[in-house]
Amino acid sequence: MLQQLIADTATGLQQIAEHELPLLQQPADWQSKYRLLMQLGKQLPALPEKMRQTEYLVRGCESRAWLLHYQEPVSGKHYFVLDSEARIVKGLLAIMLCFVNGKTGAELAELDLSRHFDALNLRPYLSQSRGNGLTMMLQRIQSTIKA
Amino acid sequence: MSSFDALAFRQFFPFFNNNPDWVYLDTAATSQKPQQVIDAELAFYQRQNSNVHRGAHQLSQHATAAFEAARDKVQQFLNAASRSEIIFTSGTTAAFNQLAFGLMDTVLKPGDRILISALEHHANIVPWQLHCQSHGVQLDVIPLDPQLMPDLDVYQQLLALKPKIVSLTQVSNALGHILPIGSMLQAAKAAGAITIVDGAQGVSWQVPDVQLWPVDFYCFSGHKLYGPTGIGVLYGKQRYLEQLKPLLGGGEMISDVSFQRSSFAALPARLEAGTPNIAGAIGLAAAIDFIRQFDARQINQYKGELLQQFAAGLSQIPGLRPLTRVEQSAGIVSLQLAGEHPNDLAMLLNEQKIAVRAGSHCAMPLFAALQLPGAVRFAFAPYNLPAEVDVTLQALAAATEILR
Ligand SMILES: Cc1ncc(COP(=O)(O)O)c(C=O)c1O
Repeated sequence: MLQQLIADTATGLQQIAEHELPLLQQPADWQSKYRLLMQLGKQLPALPEKMRQTEYLVRGCESRAWLLHYQEPVSGKHYFVLDSEARIVKGLLAIMLCFVNGKTGAELAELDLSRHFDALNLRPYLSQSRGNGLTMMLQRIQSTIKA
Repeated sequence: MSSFDALAFRQFFPFFNNNPDWVYLDTAATSQKPQQVIDAELAFYQRQNSNVHRGAHQLSQHATAAFEAARDKVQQFLNAASRSEIIFTSGTTAAFNQLAFGLMDTVLKPGDRILISALEHHANIVPWQLHCQSHGVQLDVIPLDPQLMPDLDVYQQLLALKPKIVSLTQVSNALGHILPIGSMLQAAKAAGAITIVDGAQGVSWQVPDVQLWPVDFYCFSGHKLYGPTGIGVLYGKQRYLEQLKPLLGGGEMISDVSFQRSSFAALPARLEAGTPNIAGAIGLAAAIDFIRQFDARQINQYKGELLQQFAAGLSQIPGLRPLTRVEQSAGIVSLQLAGEHPNDLAMLLNEQKIAVRAGSHCAMPLFAALQLPGAVRFAFAPYNLPAEVDVTLQALAAATEILR
């Protein structure tokens, strides 16, 4: 089950990186930006209800999200599956995952996520004050790979 | 149409001049502050600042007089029988924590029951829970009826179990519904209970006359009544306040301290340990002066008109499902967009500079009972304008369009 979700997530992220991320960099009205964010979230598989367990739960301020993790033993690369109740948040989390998934611990330690979000004109969503759960998810990812 | 002049009322609030692009519909979380409240706090720090009740100097005496005058103001506001029945706290949450702590052992014994409603804010749930289990006290909850009000038949049955305490919110912060607090308190009294009212949302709807209402304790926060943050009031009838064990110990609340024991000062000092929020109390007094210039009936009628306008507009937008019954609301409309998480709607409103709150509004058990992940809450105040209702409806239409 987890392996399938990981494979589907990887495929989805590749789609997003190829098709949607370049679109996000182009100027657009706010409506289009949000439509794109929601569309992008749909590329990631939905976490089946029975896997939405407390141990995977990441509490944002206003919506719930879940994170599952797998480290490939040979390469040491980290793989994730995530889902959120809220569609826009799921889109934003998917973008975050584009820069995180399949990386080693050393690569993740070097990662400058705010630079990537700046480039996509999404920087405000990364700031703590938005309370949309992105910061919480990032912290969970960091603590997960250290564990 | 009400004769209330909202535009003139709005002029008192500098916030709106500084944020002309925003529609502020989050007054249930905190209200904006009129200039005279801001001035009162500022003037205290600029001209009078000294600690209260302790300095030998005249400056401290002036500060003490101003602080105690604020207490008198609150006493008049609630029509309390005595000034020593007014305890300053940091807010409603602090008041409930003092109540829950202070009533355990002294009033509540193992096997006793406390009764609350399903519409309570966490502030009227969690402080009880902190102590209930270790003290063997049972917390009962009045369920909702189909109108999303407390089920009064079940209420009667639960009263038959003789709860020692009945603690109810005057107005629901999540839905805006106004509880039939008068008759509920009367029934609680008839059953022999001590009565507590959470007035955090309700005080701006109807100020209680605490000598007429069968209420033993009443709590509210200054910041939801045009006052500063960090100041609130715990009103209690003298004989009940005297039974409260102080939650906080320290300076000001004692009459005599040795390393063996301390004896406590008289009310209200006994329940006000440490340096109080002096400027906050003075700001709250200014807020009370401010709001008393206006006719509460006219204000409520005006808010009702805004709600009607909003509700009529909502019915034109497909998929929106109000949880609030507008005719029983004090100024809030909470709603859902069918099949959508409230957070998505709130993010799209935020993008359009409509300030609302989404989620479970510190009332998680309520949303668990409704089997909903939360709602988006639109909280109207007398400084909101009909034009803002229109802008909000347009923003909602645009947001639902995107989510469709
Ligand atoms: C009904 C109700 N009770 C209690 C509180 C808590 O008030 P405060 O945060 O000011 O202590 C609130 C505020 O959100 C409320 O709406």
